[in-house]
Amino acid sequence: MTRFAITYALAFILLIPAQAIIFNHMIIAGVAVPLLFLALIIRMPVTLGTNWSMILGFLAGLLLDIFCDTPGLNALCCTILAFVRKPIFHLYVSTDEDLASKAPSSKSMGMPVYLKYMLTMVTVYTLLLFTIQGFQLENFRLWIVRVIASTLYTFVGLWIFDSFASRRRDAS
Amino acid sequence: MGELIAFLVRHSKWFVFVILTVTSLTLLFNGDPYQQHVYLTSAGRLASSAYKGANNVTSYFFLHDINEELNARNAALQAEIIRLNERLEILAEQGYKDTLTVSDSVPHFEFIVAHVINNSVARPYNYLTINKGSEDGIRPELGVVDRNGVVGIVSNVGAHSARVISLLNPHFRLSCKIKGSDYFGSLVWDGGAPDEAMLEELPRHTRYKVGDTIVTSGYSAVFPAGLPVGVVLDNADDSSQNFFKLRVHLLTDFTTLSNVQIVINNQAEQLNALRAGEENDSKKNPFGY
Repeated sequence: MTRFAITYALAFILLIPAQAIIFNHMIIAGVAVPLLFLALIIRMPVTLGTNWSMILGFLAGLLLDIFCDTPGLNALCCTILAFVRKPIFHLYVSTDEDLASKAPSSKSMGMPVYLKYMLTMVTVYTLLLFTIQGFQLENFRLWIVRVIASTLYTFVGLWIFDSFASRRRDAS
Repeated sequence: MGELIAFLVRHSKWFVFVILTVTSLTLLFNGDPYQQHVYLTSAGRLASSAYKGANNVTSYFFLHDINEELNARNAALQAEIIRLNERLEILAEQGYKDTLTVSDSVPHFEFIVAHVINNSVARPYNYLTINKGSEDGIRPELGVVDRNGVVGIVSNVGAHSARVISLLNPHFRLSCKIKGSDYFGSLVWDGGAPDEAMLEELPRHTRYKVGDTIVTSGYSAVFPAGLPVGVVLDNADDSSQNFFKLRVHLLTDFTTLSNVQIVINNQAEQLNALRAGEENDSKKNPFGY
């Protein structure tokens, strides 16, 4: 668990500046943004209490907001996502399986289940983000294009992230 | 009491959820960009040092294009100097020079050069961060321009960095007029493409042609008059009200912004003092005479 805490802290410190400096500028066609920092919430251990995951999610969102000058926006979306994380997880994994201190990944859950769980989480986040961010803009078509494009882009990005993370674990 | 604590513990996730959500919503709906604390903006030390590090790498990417544009601008300015010198000489020959001296004691406007270390164009409210702050003489509400035109206005200032409200942000309205005429309106971005904005509140009888240049009006102390902003694309609405709006192509390329100048108006204090005086006068006599 200590080893996991150190890895998680490192990921926290690296992923959010990386999101602000690199990923936020990898926009495709002005609509699709890869939100790879969501790995911080998606890959939180299932055994972590909802309170802690909400606080960690809130801090991650707030830190990103400071970088992006969107005060409160990502903090709000991350809090809600961390709140619904467990119910979403249990949509795909029954409760009685042994998941002690396991972080959701393709290795711990199996590829198809992990991808379904990840896609649901990413969809919830992009829906929240673009609805709250753009609710004064009444352009519905642009909203739906942003949601779908960013969901797919983030999904592919996190899939690649997962394959790198599992390969690293194999080697070590 | 024990039951109450048990209740609170059992439902603690709801309390944490509500507290965090309310905190986020408070931050989210504090709409005034000037009232945000500098540590909650990209001008804070944490974010600005990260952006400065990244900018050391990325600032080389567009140097070729920037050089080309600077050369073109240099040539235009040189031509302007020659033209003005020739005019001065003609006036001197005619014996007017002595009566037409301009006081050169304090320059009206000065410029501070800065680098853009962070910039966004795809959000509904865009900001940029520059690498100069209060210790370099930057204050809130100073205008920011680049070689092509207006960029934005400073909102939050840290020691060595500042956050600028981009022209691509509906919080920022810029008083503009059509070059060569006195019709003026308010330029505001509508959240669409990063190279287009709307010039609103133009009187219905305004005359314009597609391709006319839009310049700053100089009615505020922030920007000098006559700075280029954009070019008229077309008429944006057909409603029969007293005002109408024009779609404007912005001259500043916000997607490749790198070097900017911050405008310091040496007469701003006098102007603001005058304005404050007017307000005080009206407060003293709330019912007027």
